[in-house]
Amino acid sequence: MTRQEIEAEVRRIFLSEFEVENPEPDVNLREAYGFDSIDAIELLLGIEKFLGSELTQEEKKQAIEIRTLTQIIDYIEELARKRGVVAERP
Amino acid sequence: MERRVVITACSAISPIGYGRKAIVESLLNGVSGVATLREDELISRFIHSRVYGTVGYPMTYDFSRQHRKTMGPVAYYACQVAKDALEQAGLPQEFVTGGRLGIAFGSIHGSPTVQRDIYRVFFEAKDKAAYQTIGAVDYLKSMVHTTAVNISKMFGITGRIISSGTACTTASQSIGFGYEAVKYGLQDAMLCGGADEYDTITVAVFDNLLACSTSFNDRPSQTPRPFDRARDGLVVAEGAGAVMLEEYEFAKKRGATILAEVIGFACNSNGGDLILPNLEGITQTLKLGLENAKISADEVDLVSAHATATKMGDIIEAQATGEVFGAEPYVVALKSYMGHTMAACGAIETILMIYMMQEGFVAPTLNLEEVDERCAMIKHVQQVIEHPVRTAAIQNFAFGGVNTSLLIRKLT
Repeated sequence: MTRQEIEAEVRRIFLSEFEVENPEPDVNLREAYGFDSIDAIELLLGIEKFLGSELTQEEKKQAIEIRTLTQIIDYIEELARKRGVVAERP
Repeated sequence: MERRVVITACSAISPIGYGRKAIVESLLNGVSGVATLREDELISRFIHSRVYGTVGYPMTYDFSRQHRKTMGPVAYYACQVAKDALEQAGLPQEFVTGGRLGIAFGSIHGSPTVQRDIYRVFFEAKDKAAYQTIGAVDYLKSMVHTTAVNISKMFGITGRIISSGTACTTASQSIGFGYEAVKYGLQDAMLCGGADEYDTITVAVFDNLLACSTSFNDRPSQTPRPFDRARDGLVVAEGAGAVMLEEYEFAKKRGATILAEVIGFACNSNGGDLILPNLEGITQTLKLGLENAKISADEVDLVSAHATATKMGDIIEAQATGEVFGAEPYVVALKSYMGHTMAACGAIETILMIYMMQEGFVAPTLNLEEVDERCAMIKHVQQVIEHPVRTAAIQNFAFGGVNTSLLIRKLT
């Protein structure tokens, strides 16, 4: 699993679940697209499906501070690395 | 300080149409909105009553995902009639969001469609993945105040929220409590109403109580039959209604169209049995309504009866109505057109009364072919009558022994 694949999946979830097309990578998602705590919970479920692995309560709580698309991708990349399903960063 | 309260907008989604034109045409032409009960692949096959007051025409909504995500079907109905009422009232945007507009809106138990999906998980879940299908928003869609708060979110309304959930008096309490909030200066306007979505569980409840109509399963439009000798029970229905209440001087100053004035409201409890209609309790409510409006019974031209077409309920209501109002005012049972829209009925019936006031006619009670002699002490309407209505009473009674009486008057 590469960072590009993670980004593509996150963008797919944003389009299909949140009707947000091509979100800007570094804008505040709440301010720009009305992405709220309800959406965040739905996104975490999507991430679990994508990784094929359940997130721990601790891992979910780490997501509370996330504000941008780039941070979401970083977050998933870290989860994937812990699970050994992502290529190490060069 | 008591302030005058007026209705400046209204909208209904009902089994006999959406909006004034369609509904008035149905009333004038005796069109019924009762259809065959839909199969739900759950319990519908066990229900003896095969009829339902159905919104059988397509509805289209333009709500954004930000709003849709916390809305079950009942909130769609509620938000649409609320949107219509807000647009029709034409209140300034800064007033809508300024805290002096509140909401009184309810449903009998949120969204049963969403609740049913949750129950499916409880009873069918084999693993954690099934458990996780309970959405983060399922409570927001199914809670009893889902209609009121989805309206507040969609339109940025920041005043008080009242969310009555008293079954068949939900909407009449919404209007009544909204009226009191404006009358006593707590708010300057209140958006009031009720809604309920298609729900077979509600039919099953009444069906098991032997209170549902079953003899007209093959002729849905011929039931319910309030006050008729052949009536055999109620028909459950879906729908929504919203009215905008405003303080009179405020409405007048901004040049709002005033549809009617709310002149009185009463609500009491039977203080006893939770199901059986109670002559004393109902009679007292109707008297309290007149007292609150400071008018005498002979000033009322038209009464909208709760009249669900149950055997005993109609008789008790006719007796109470006859005792309080006498035999002079016309009495119409509007559920005869669409069945019992539950939490919405008080609002829908109020709106239909406003339409008749505006149009200058009284609709007949549909399917009333032979008046039950035990209900004959009041003046029934069996054909369309051209008649100016100035003052009208709308009465509703609910499971739990809750009774309401609302009085409205056309401004001259």
